[in-house]
Amino acid sequence: MKLLRDFLDSKEHLFHKGGKLEKMYPLYEAIDTFAYTPADVTSGQTHVRDGIDLKRTMITVAMALFPVIIWTLYNTGFQANSVLASTGAEAEGWRASVMALLGLAHDPANIASNMMYGFLWFFPVFLVTQIAGGTVELIFSVVRKHEINEGFLVTGILYPLILPPTIPLWQVAVGIIFGVLVGKEIYGGTGKNIFNPALTARAFLFFAYPAQISGDAVWTAVDGFTGATALGQAAAGGLEAVTYSWSELFFGLVPGSMGETSTLACLLGAIYLISTRIGSWTIMLSVVVGMIVTSTGLNLIGSETNFMFNIPWYYHFVMGGFAFAFVFMATDPVSASMTTKGKWFYGFGIGAMGIVVRCINPAFPEGWMLAILFMNAMAPLIDYFVINSNIKRRMARNG
Amino acid sequence: MGNNVGKTVFVAFALCLVCSVLVSTTAVSLKDKQAQNAALDMKKNVLSAAGLLNKDTDVNEVFSKFSTVLVNLETGEIVEDMDSATYDQKEAQKKPDLSIAIPADADLAGLSRRAKFGKVFVYKDEQDQPQIYIFHITSKGLWSTMYGFMALGSDLNTVKGFGYYAQGETPGLGGEVDNPKWKGQWIGKSVYNEEEVVALKLSKAEAPKEGAVAEYRVDGLSGATITANGISSSIKYWFSNHGYGKFIDMVQAGEVTI
Amino acid sequence: MKIKELVFDPILKNNPIALQILGVCSALAVTVQLKNVIVMCAAVTLVIALANMSVSIIRNHIPGSIRIIVQMTIIASLVIIAEQFLKAFLFDQWKTMAVYVGLIITNCIVMGRTEAFALKNTPIASFFDGIGNGLGYSFILIFVGFFRELFGSGKVFGYTVFELTKDGGWYQANGLALLPPSAFFLIGLIIWILRTKDPSQVEPQA
Repeated sequence: MKLLRDFLDSKEHLFHKGGKLEKMYPLYEAIDTFAYTPADVTSGQTHVRDGIDLKRTMITVAMALFPVIIWTLYNTGFQANSVLASTGAEAEGWRASVMALLGLAHDPANIASNMMYGFLWFFPVFLVTQIAGGTVELIFSVVRKHEINEGFLVTGILYPLILPPTIPLWQVAVGIIFGVLVGKEIYGGTGKNIFNPALTARAFLFFAYPAQISGDAVWTAVDGFTGATALGQAAAGGLEAVTYSWSELFFGLVPGSMGETSTLACLLGAIYLISTRIGSWTIMLSVVVGMIVTSTGLNLIGSETNFMFNIPWYYHFVMGGFAFAFVFMATDPVSASMTTKGKWFYGFGIGAMGIVVRCINPAFPEGWMLAILFMNAMAPLIDYFVINSNIKRRMARNG
Repeated sequence: MGNNVGKTVFVAFALCLVCSVLVSTTAVSLKDKQAQNAALDMKKNVLSAAGLLNKDTDVNEVFSKFSTVLVNLETGEIVEDMDSATYDQKEAQKKPDLSIAIPADADLAGLSRRAKFGKVFVYKDEQDQPQIYIFHITSKGLWSTMYGFMALGSDLNTVKGFGYYAQGETPGLGGEVDNPKWKGQWIGKSVYNEEEVVALKLSKAEAPKEGAVAEYRVDGLSGATITANGISSSIKYWFSNHGYGKFIDMVQAGEVTI
Repeated sequence: MKIKELVFDPILKNNPIALQILGVCSALAVTVQLKNVIVMCAAVTLVIALANMSVSIIRNHIPGSIRIIVQMTIIASLVIIAEQFLKAFLFDQWKTMAVYVGLIITNCIVMGRTEAFALKNTPIASFFDGIGNGLGYSFILIFVGFFRELFGSGKVFGYTVFELTKDGGWYQANGLALLPPSAFFLIGLIIWILRTKDPSQVEPQA
């Protein structure tokens, strides 16, 4: 470690004003503070203060995602291995070579094999996200002369988790570049964005390259294999057509976007986020309430032609990306409503809108991405009304 | 600026007069040219469905080998007392006197109304033998009503070409109906199976290359279930007895000659 | 004002779309192909210029009480005439644009210029103001149309630049560029660039 410290110190002058690599200071600073405690910390005991800052917030979220990531690795591999085992197809490409090299058979009962194979699918997506998104982040730090902050850390983990495993890597790069640029940097960078950058990136891919992100062929990491998600089955034939049991959906032993399958893993993350007070329980609860109220309403209306009307709320809860969306996406503190009362409206809106898109719109099989982006756009308006009504009430009381 | 009533009325009147003269002169003087354009456009659509349209095709010349007939879809008989050249099936569908409501139980394609008369284009060879029949079909997609042509060979079963000339489906998903590769697959398929029932439809995913049903299956449109279902059910509708079925039967039986 | 200023100011300095945010609807609707863009731009530019000139010629005779209706009538007549010509001579373009040609009537730029400029200025100046604003409109539409056609269909003016995967090439068409909302992103980008270059266009903070 001493070696690294000495190296960083010896190169530091290059990055200061007038140095050869002055423009690259943000990169130097990022590496330095990533490895070591920053030099400029508060000293003395004059203030009682919490250690919470952007870095710790972001790292907490990353920690909350830990169960989801573990499950992502396992399930992505498990789904692929199960299909390979049941169809007798041969795995192809460099991933299969790596597996062979490690001596791991494509056996769905072998946890190590599942984890490894899942890793081989997830990691390239993750890596490309980090490199492409990080580069955009770096360019803007250099141009705007600020330090690289941790804002991208969470976006860069959330984004690969909401993609299907078979997504082409160039699309991953194009999507995250668009997401960081249009979802965040245009508005001035971390903390100033209106929309959730990870969802902006996914929405871009969804509309730009629909064939690789929706349909039946993309959810299992086996070439040419088509298998519908539970949502797809439900839309085509109602609950009877869903071949997965409720508990399979809850634990997440189903095909789908890599990190979205397991409701359980998301709930573990939710507990962590709420106990550390990083994620807003108000938003989480109100999204769930909105979802339950709207889907129950649709149940009561009923429909003979649209099977989605008859799906009970506890299935909506475990199908598709709902759990991931309400735990990790809706609670993004920057793009959500800021006021407490506003959070209730914001969350309820997401729950209601998501079900409406999921059940009624035939073009979009899943609704949470669009619902959250829509309510992101509404959040400032909601806050405005909440604050105005507060002002009015106080005026009436004290005026 | 004067504000008295007399002047206001005068200015309004004068302006309206000048504008209406200008507009009507242009409209009247350009009318023929516009009608020609519209006719040429329709001919191009027909030729393109039959696979006869190339870059340097003389549209009018090739189209002159076509004859058009109006078919009473109810009976399958040919309508003689109407001018088939000026009849526009797409427009007729919207007019109350030229269209009928489809009974709900027969409305496979969800179209709710159809034109009373179908316009069929027939391409004849040198010996005056019908070679290609082109049928106008309408399908309900996800966002839009799609208008297109199905071209069948002289046996009135083998597909010679298929394509929509107007549609507003999602680009990249349902919009792939315009993809030349996808359209190319239709050629050589059969509409009716051995039991004389419409069997041609889109597969859920990729169509089987061989086997009993391969002859009646075309690749599905990935991610566009609603558009694909609309196409399948409209083919079922238009080539059943509610659509062109009776006419086709009568031609095959030799009861109608063109 | 000099003619040169009238013609060139609206292109970058005072662009009707990028600064005044007028006429955005057609910028979304017709920009899938550059061919349509050019036809649309020509039609809009001519309509603005002629409407401006006509209104200006009779500006001293228009009664204030029916001012708006008079302008509307003139604009509507010009648009119908333009549409008739397109239908007769550029049928293919007319077919793909269809209603949007007629909707030039409601393009806020046209009405905006006759109301804001032509009622107070001479016919010659009004004519060139119309040309200028038409060019400003065209500049944005061509920019948007260029990128939408390039990314969405791999073509520029109908000539293949990127070979599409469905035709056996390497470029996978971007479906978003084919959808109207993509024009919002592109117009947003232009506005971003223009305001970074010329900070005087940025609205004062409230």
